[in-house]
Amino acid sequence: MQRNLFAALAGGLFGAGLLISGMTDTLKVQGWLDVFGQWDPTLAFVMGGAILPMIAAWQLAARMGLSRLGSPLPLRPDHRLERNLVVGSALFGIGWALAGLCPGPALASVSFGGWGSLLFLSAMLAGMVLAPALRRRINRQQHNRGTSLMEIRHLTDRYAVSPQIGPEDVAALKAAGFVRVICNRPDGEIPGALHAAQMRKHVEAAGLEFVDNQIVPGNFTAEIIATQARALDATGPVFAYCASGNRSSVVWAMSQAGKVPAETLITTAARWGYNLEPYRDRLG
Amino acid sequence: MVVSMQADWIYGLGGGLLIGLAAASYLLVNGRIMGASGIIGGLTDGSGRDTWAERSSFLIGLVGVPALISVSFGATPTHLTTNVVTVVAAGLLVGIGTRLANGCTSGHGVCGISRLSLRGIVATAVFILSGGLTILLFRHVLGVI
Repeated sequence: MQRNLFAALAGGLFGAGLLISGMTDTLKVQGWLDVFGQWDPTLAFVMGGAILPMIAAWQLAARMGLSRLGSPLPLRPDHRLERNLVVGSALFGIGWALAGLCPGPALASVSFGGWGSLLFLSAMLAGMVLAPALRRRINRQQHNRGTSLMEIRHLTDRYAVSPQIGPEDVAALKAAGFVRVICNRPDGEIPGALHAAQMRKHVEAAGLEFVDNQIVPGNFTAEIIATQARALDATGPVFAYCASGNRSSVVWAMSQAGKVPAETLITTAARWGYNLEPYRDRLG
Repeated sequence: MVVSMQADWIYGLGGGLLIGLAAASYLLVNGRIMGASGIIGGLTDGSGRDTWAERSSFLIGLVGVPALISVSFGATPTHLTTNVVTVVAAGLLVGIGTRLANGCTSGHGVCGISRLSLRGIVATAVFILSGGLTILLFRHVLGVI
């Protein structure tokens, strides 16, 4: 309830800001993009005004660990530049310029913008429904060309995790300096091409070590934790993967219990959005 | 003309600060990145099923507060084009583009740039460049918008 109330407040403040700044006026937005015509600088002031409080907010967030309502804060920016990001932004820019509306102002002005606003919003929602199929297609193209889309999430400078990887990611792991790869995902969850035995072949072919330590969700036994702890003891950085990277984070934290304070373990994982709070009693 | 220009800057900056405060509150209180396209997109593709109430509440505020303001103080003109083809094409492009790119002006522009996220900076540069070229082509070369 509290969460929804604060969400509505943030949404309302956002809407008021868009209205007051003039961003619901499509001519202002088009005027800002019209560098070769009569340029209107307003949007630059809006962006600047909005970015300032957010710079402070990110600084504050870095010291908080969890949000006021107890959610993990998304602290580490993602630096992957996939084709979807560039293609999508280019398409968005065209639509933004043609109508002078982006999603925020489109919603903020829908109540008073007449039929045109409703039509724009409907078309935008239709585009959002169509997008996932297109995104999968672009991802598949990149995947087929062997481009790695993996995001390496460092928990320490010697241990990193990620969601499920594929054969196309092994070269990037080697290039990043990892010497050992731990599989924490049970074969039963994934198609045969990604089973541990297959991944072992790809990883070992690249000259890295492979450790098979599959974890069924919630099943963090003493043996599994001990296997992970032994695997962490390597000559260089170690990389582990499961479905989301969550299990690889939990089992790592449990292997560090007693050596590192529980609070540090929890906030470290929370930086990547992994919630270790439910396991607090096993981390102390 | 000069006076109204100056007032526009001030309103822009003031409104911008409110947008930044909204994003800061959504981050520090709710623990989420305030991106308009992502908040709606999670409802259209099912990825936000667990957080639908929070997303809907945000959208109610985003639509409702400007509605209240426009009822109380009069609606501000949107000057949206009346050309149906342009409106539909633009809407589709904005919907598809922001979901492919995982963000729009608020998510990549405001929240991304302020944390020096490479993705946010690249996305913003690309959509401003493509928007600028679109205006150049459609307004000055073709003369249709």
